[in-house]
Amino acid sequence: MKKYERITAIITSLGGVWIMVYAWHTLKLGSIHVPDAGFLPFLCGTGLAVLGIVWILILQWKEEPVSESTAERRLWHRPLLSLALMVLYGVAMETVGYITSTLIFMVVWQQIIEREKWIKTMVISLLGTLAMYALFVYLLKVPIPPEFFVG
Amino acid sequence: MDIFTGLINGFSIALTGTNILFCFIGAVIGTAVGVLPGLGPAATIALLLPITYVIGSPVTAVIMMAGIYYGAMYGGSTTSILLNLPGEAASVVTCIDGYQMAKKGRAGAALGIAAIGSFIAGTVAVVGLTFFAPPLAEFALDFGPPEYFALTTLGLLLAVTLSGGSIVKGLIILVVGLLLAMVGLDPISGKVRFTFGSIGLQGGFDFVTLAMGVFGLGEILYNLESTLKTEIVTTKIGKVFPTLKDWADSKWAIFRGSAIGFFVGIIPGGGAVISSLASYAIEKKYAEHPEEFGQGAIEGVAGPESANNAASSSSFIPLLTLGIPGNASIAMIFAALMIQGITPGPFLVAEHPDVFWGVVASMYIGNAMLLVLNLPMVGIWVQMLRVPYGILAPVIVLFTVIGVYSTQNQVFDIYSMLFFAALGYGMRKLDFDPAPLPLAFVLGPMVERSLRQSLLISGGDPTIFVSRPISGTLVAIFILLVAGQTAFFVRKRMRRAPSVSTG
Repeated sequence: MKKYERITAIITSLGGVWIMVYAWHTLKLGSIHVPDAGFLPFLCGTGLAVLGIVWILILQWKEEPVSESTAERRLWHRPLLSLALMVLYGVAMETVGYITSTLIFMVVWQQIIEREKWIKTMVISLLGTLAMYALFVYLLKVPIPPEFFVG
Repeated sequence: MDIFTGLINGFSIALTGTNILFCFIGAVIGTAVGVLPGLGPAATIALLLPITYVIGSPVTAVIMMAGIYYGAMYGGSTTSILLNLPGEAASVVTCIDGYQMAKKGRAGAALGIAAIGSFIAGTVAVVGLTFFAPPLAEFALDFGPPEYFALTTLGLLLAVTLSGGSIVKGLIILVVGLLLAMVGLDPISGKVRFTFGSIGLQGGFDFVTLAMGVFGLGEILYNLESTLKTEIVTTKIGKVFPTLKDWADSKWAIFRGSAIGFFVGIIPGGGAVISSLASYAIEKKYAEHPEEFGQGAIEGVAGPESANNAASSSSFIPLLTLGIPGNASIAMIFAALMIQGITPGPFLVAEHPDVFWGVVASMYIGNAMLLVLNLPMVGIWVQMLRVPYGILAPVIVLFTVIGVYSTQNQVFDIYSMLFFAALGYGMRKLDFDPAPLPLAFVLGPMVERSLRQSLLISGGDPTIFVSRPISGTLVAIFILLVAGQTAFFVRKRMRRAPSVSTG
């Protein structure tokens, strides 16, 4: 944990420095009488750079907590898979349309993330897609990306 | 318009069929998300923000959102008492004595006193809001850019320091929120900032995508890591109406909790979580039998549950009078008002009395609805815990994706939301409290505008912030707060240093 925090602190500090340079060079600071578009971003960049350093110093002092063997086991791959699936869902929505992509998303989610049986997968996916269609398209009249296989 | 006329007008608005319906929907959804662990009121209001585009009336939209917020406070106690699992953060402390009561077969009494305490505290806080908000709004009419700059920065700092987490991490999130608000066109010079050639970013990030990503999907992604399954409820609930002895034991805890919650809720960053913790600490300190706390003391349930409900109602005061959202859920309601073209602030009471008084009146009605929803129907809410997360999670994903797409009908918003989802997940992994992010994002434009306008007015003289009485007082509080925090940190380090070196 401490290792990841230290990396994030360094990234925060470097990000702050980059924002300072961008604000000063590209956006321009203006003067204290007439502040320009880069004035507050520069202050924020300075703040980030300093806070990143303070965080690193605090991490130096802080003792690593002893990990408990009884702690809950966490599956880090599930959120990453889900996020990738959501990106693909966005791409599919544009290419094959809302209903088809939603159905595919539900099936893949139940199979890969939840590892459900096929019958349960199909029931949940069909009902979920139908419910979304009824709520957003039929009731709330939300315009959805057109279906590739229909039009 | 005086307070009583305003309130009567408010009731005439809140009691229309549509507003009663949406108040009820808000109360039901709020109770449901309060019951379900892993989905808080901020995330739910974020998920429902796109619906505000469809709801034509701003009063109706805010009535529903407010119902979700204070409804979640009622529902949150249910899982704390029955499962020792807080439905939302403000009910964490209720687990201590609530669960012990349930184990002793007194779950019904705990649930009952939590609902009755919430009702009394909610009503007390709304009465306070009714009488306290209009004069405060009138006072705030004199505020100029320096006062707004001092007030917003103080509010943001308080939100970080009172959140209870790491102050450095909170400040980092605050700065990130301010920077995200700067993406797009600069409101004064018209220059494009941080867009890197992307046309989609020229209009800036939309609050709906940020809120839904960080709070809605970010929370879902983090919960997907968990291997714990919700256990099926087997606790017998029993009679939910407390006995006369229960009432005698807890009545003062309820009134103290109401007062604590009301005042803590007004402070930016105070909110429901801190007020419930403060109430528990006070009840334990002044109890006749403090040894009973942790063993199933009914005051340990009544006090905190009253406090979190009072705080959720009183946190509307800074929003509706100063335009300052004090916590993440209120920031979502701020955004809902902005979507409807209404800027929250001191002019709200005068320019949109229908919104102000309509929402205030709906809170009286909503609290009464929640008492009915939570006392006799608690068994139904408990059944909701049987819905597997494997079904709930993808349905919420579908809801957010189509919801965010519907705001502008462009897939770019979905990708923006997924970026914020990854950010929200990363923040939770690294133990960052995401609450300051939406606050900084919604207040960012006000901070920048008031800072630059103040410097323009004063001809670049920064003493303008200390030379005016109101802004000077606020700056003094700001400096005292920073100095106090620094002194506390240094003292803590110095105390620990000898023990580390000798150990």
